[in-house]
Amino acid sequence: MKRLAALLTAAALLAAALLLYNPLAKIGLLPPLKALLRGGAAEIAETPVIVQQVKNIAQMFTQTFYDEIVYDTGVMRTPVFSQNKRLIFIAKGEVIAGFDLSELGESAIMRRGRSIVVKLPPARVLDVVINPSGFETFIEEGEISFEESKRFHEDARRIFDENARRKGILRNSAEQGRQMLEKFFRLLGFETVDIIIPASR
Amino acid sequence: MDPKNALPPRARKRLIVLAAVILLLLAVNLAVPARKVRPPLTARTLKDLAELATVEYEVTKIVSHKDIAWYGDRKILFETAAEVKAGIDLNELADQDVRVEGDAVTVTLPRPRILLFNMKPGSMREIFNESGILRSDFSNQEKDALLSLGEKDIRAKVAAMDVLDRAARNARILVESWLRRSGYSAVRVEFRAAGGAA
Repeated sequence: MKRLAALLTAAALLAAALLLYNPLAKIGLLPPLKALLRGGAAEIAETPVIVQQVKNIAQMFTQTFYDEIVYDTGVMRTPVFSQNKRLIFIAKGEVIAGFDLSELGESAIMRRGRSIVVKLPPARVLDVVINPSGFETFIEEGEISFEESKRFHEDARRIFDENARRKGILRNSAEQGRQMLEKFFRLLGFETVDIIIPASR
Repeated sequence: MDPKNALPPRARKRLIVLAAVILLLLAVNLAVPARKVRPPLTARTLKDLAELATVEYEVTKIVSHKDIAWYGDRKILFETAAEVKAGIDLNELADQDVRVEGDAVTVTLPRPRILLFNMKPGSMREIFNESGILRSDFSNQEKDALLSLGEKDIRAKVAAMDVLDRAARNARILVESWLRRSGYSAVRVEFRAAGGAA
């Protein structure tokens, strides 16, 4: 009977310790129990970076839009007996707009004495950048696969693109491109500089 | 109950006290909400740029991590890819960097630098993921942290490649072609020396 009492006391002490640990972890004073089971700081193996392709490009970046959003997948219902899923993350990154100058034709630059006319292609979104270091998981419930997470990250990029367009990135990009080239050609000594930019779609 | 089999009074008291403590802690556990502080979001901002990207590198890297512990291992392997664009910042171009003499022009361009680094989620693949029976699976947060380490390593290794030399070569070709198309017959494009002087 004494042994049973000792066993019960030990079990009760363990339960009490866990119950004491958990609220402290919840308020952030101690690492979560899950993290203790996961192990120490992550390190990746040393592997090479392989160059797959090198391209000559001619892109003029004239506008950037810094954005930060909270992405919430909402509760995703799963079959009975498995935990419902939910992912909330913060995404930080930028949208870059400008001109692809490789689209410039032979007749894009026309000079007459001290005057010059430059016809640019329409300004467009060239890149949406949210790198892995730009994602911060806030809440993760249930088992979310890498493919699912990738889909949400791609969707965050789409939201960035939409936000940037709504903020007028293409209009600003065209205006900045015009000013930039005007300054450049005036530095070259041209008195009249005419930059023609079609409206972006 | 046989008094021989009954718990000794001291042990019984101890268990009652412990049970009360457990109940109290259980109540505390239910009452304390998990800390969920959303970080403040920064303002969305548009900013002017004047950058000319002249080269793009597409690179790949395998990101692997082994978490070995006495109670079980966890292993994960990703294939990642990044796009790196390099070129020159035309905002740094000053009046004295352009010298025109009749039909001849000399332009001193700023030194090239990496302008953009982009690891698109669509170009990453999880190839292998295995956790021991006593180990939790890799969470998304952990996967993002590992991919961030991969990103850091790619950035460091790309900086040691010939990206900037190629960017400078292409920038020279591009600016020379613009200047010739603008009517200049003698065109010279050079780069600012390290430290800023031409």
